[in-house]
Amino acid sequence: MTAPRVGIIGIGQSAFTRRRDDASYPDLVREAVIRAMTQADLDFDAIDGTVYSLSPDAMVGIGNAERLGVDAVGGRNKPFLRINTGGATGISSVAAAYYHVASGACDVILTAGADKVGECGDSQTVLNKIWDPTYERQLPHGTITMLAMSGVRYQHKYGMTQEDMARVVVKNRKHAALNPNAHLRTEVTVEDVMASRMISWPIKLMDCCPQSSGGGAMVLASEKFIKQNKLDAVWITGVGHCTETYYQGDRMGTGQTADHADAYALGKACWRSYKMAGITDPQKQIDVAELYAPFSNTEFHSIEAAGLAPVGQSVPMVNEGRFSIGGEIPVNASGGTLCTNAIAVTAMIRVAEVALQVWGKAGAHQVKGAKRGIASGNGGDHQFFGTAVIEA
Amino acid sequence: MALNRKTAVIGTAIAAPPPDDPRSLEELLYDVTQEALSDAGMSIEDIDGIVVGSNDQFDGRAIAVMAASGSVGGVDRDILSTPSAGEHAFVMATLRIASGLYETHLVVSWSPTEVSSMAEAQRLGADPYFHRKLPLDEVAGAALQANSIASVTPGVHVLAARISELNRKNGSHAYPDLTAHSGTIGTLPWPLRDGMISAPATGAVALVIASQDYVVSKGLTNIAWVNGMGWATESGYLGDRDLNQAEALEVARDRAYAEAEITSPLGTIDVVELTDTSPYQQLLVSEVLGLSSRADWEKDVVTGVFTQDSTMAINPSGGVTIFNPVFCTGLIRIAEAANQVRGTAGRHQVMGVKTALAHAASGFAMMYQSVLILGNQPKRAVA
Repeated sequence: MTAPRVGIIGIGQSAFTRRRDDASYPDLVREAVIRAMTQADLDFDAIDGTVYSLSPDAMVGIGNAERLGVDAVGGRNKPFLRINTGGATGISSVAAAYYHVASGACDVILTAGADKVGECGDSQTVLNKIWDPTYERQLPHGTITMLAMSGVRYQHKYGMTQEDMARVVVKNRKHAALNPNAHLRTEVTVEDVMASRMISWPIKLMDCCPQSSGGGAMVLASEKFIKQNKLDAVWITGVGHCTETYYQGDRMGTGQTADHADAYALGKACWRSYKMAGITDPQKQIDVAELYAPFSNTEFHSIEAAGLAPVGQSVPMVNEGRFSIGGEIPVNASGGTLCTNAIAVTAMIRVAEVALQVWGKAGAHQVKGAKRGIASGNGGDHQFFGTAVIEA
Repeated sequence: MALNRKTAVIGTAIAAPPPDDPRSLEELLYDVTQEALSDAGMSIEDIDGIVVGSNDQFDGRAIAVMAASGSVGGVDRDILSTPSAGEHAFVMATLRIASGLYETHLVVSWSPTEVSSMAEAQRLGADPYFHRKLPLDEVAGAALQANSIASVTPGVHVLAARISELNRKNGSHAYPDLTAHSGTIGTLPWPLRDGMISAPATGAVALVIASQDYVVSKGLTNIAWVNGMGWATESGYLGDRDLNQAEALEVARDRAYAEAEITSPLGTIDVVELTDTSPYQQLLVSEVLGLSSRADWEKDVVTGVFTQDSTMAINPSGGVTIFNPVFCTGLIRIAEAANQVRGTAGRHQVMGVKTALAHAASGFAMMYQSVLILGNQPKRAVA
């Protein structure tokens, strides 16, 4: 059977920043929900259920913190469940919301969440606890060291330099300067990035995403509901997920299931979405992409996994401006994860930003003529990957 | 709204390792997964997607789902995780199949007990300003709910004690080894008493579900159809709730019964597996599900639906009273109900089961409520 079409009818997001002392955790969720509901122009009675988007509980210091968000999303006495696939949680939540509608269970579904990463103390201390307690947790490992190893491998395999990485930062900061909701909006130069302190070779401070606080929400509805109520919508035409191994060691040495330089499972997830959307040549059929890349080096293998560049050949294409606003396929026109990372909703914002682009509602960072885009999210230890194709 | 596609449970496995079991969590998950796949007559290659329910605090691992990648066969596959409740993994997997994008799913949930204090791990789930300092944990939540029920129901303490006895009797028949291991909690808050609540235990459960198309194409017959499914939540703040009521359960019940076309559960449902963290909760749930009105509780505990004289069996497995892997007890109820329909429940199999109800509840004082109606025939024609 063919899955019914599911539309996006409302989007809400915070203006992300490091701290939000003016808002509690549920307040942040509510802020995004109100904005999404306002755009959808619906009362809460119209919402059939909620998919709650929240990654590690420890980031907000409350176990099962989704319980405190029930009233913030208007979820009381309605279907409600939470999704967590680490950094991919936001896009997994959109996918879960999609299934609520596509299954026939709901006509209108809300997905929402928030994070206060900037107020958690140190996110890397929390994220160290994702690894198994016996081997990899004690290295000590964090998500920066994890993806620094990927960067080293990518340098070795494809010749990427630190200056190449810096040019990704320059591009995304330039984009973020146009996006009022982005956290890091100050433009920087290659020299600025190169002069920032080394965090974990080859990743320097400015190659890293910030620790952001804010909320995100989206309202999805069935095609029938959208047509009956004459609503404006853009459409989710592809969803896909794929998973890599848990152990970092399984990505290294001989006989690995996936080379740590690349994003093997992201590629599979992208092609699952493309197949569903009928896309066979993404370089020609994709107008805009929001790819989850929390460190500059990871944008290269994400572009390649999404099929927007041949494997190992994205570096010169980035340098030539192919993936900048004004280029052929702008990647992370919002500034991306590199400029804003409220982990629980970061991957949802990737979907939301693609939706805004194909809707023509992206504002100053609008990509002209964008009609079809791809969004992605990564979670765990470069482990869970989710993708979605959005079309006007 | 009815789902676009019918789904059936085609394989189950429940793991109740003894306290001295030497297996790691990963080994336990691998074993329970393989057992469920074997029960379904499948290999992992036949699985399109996986949904797991796991809890960061109980596992001591931020993003607890991560450990599942290898052990449940998730590498190169599509995994989602529902940390809100083990039973939500079943809901999510059913919706994914009903969407038409998947034919088969593996559903896995687990609940370890390695944390130094389950109560402290649970207390982290209370809001940090008001409830955490009570202190609030699952047992305290159950006690608050018991007091709320007792405040308007004279004589309920005697009935609760009797319900516990019946559950333990069922449990000793169904799982004699488990009953021997089911510990009790030290000092219980009023009005809970020894024997009413089982100490948290390590456990895991896996189910394999498939679309009607898959079931028909493979000629599967030993299955349990998902004929009704409802799920809903209460508010997260206990102070905003009347714990003598279960509004979210009413919502979940109405949806499940409507889908399964159940107008009178008595006489229609043969077996009920419900989440009875305390016997008071069992009474409240039975009332809301239409199994025993509050006015009939006293009679039904002596000669009615709660006894072996009844045509409806409630918790023939013994329920949570004898086996309490906290985070996955709800999903175990679904597996137990499916086993009853499939005729694979073992020592506690009820003869001639056509329709079973599984009730799952999670969170403080049954915040999350789910109701599943499982049957030996699909209830509604596929659209």
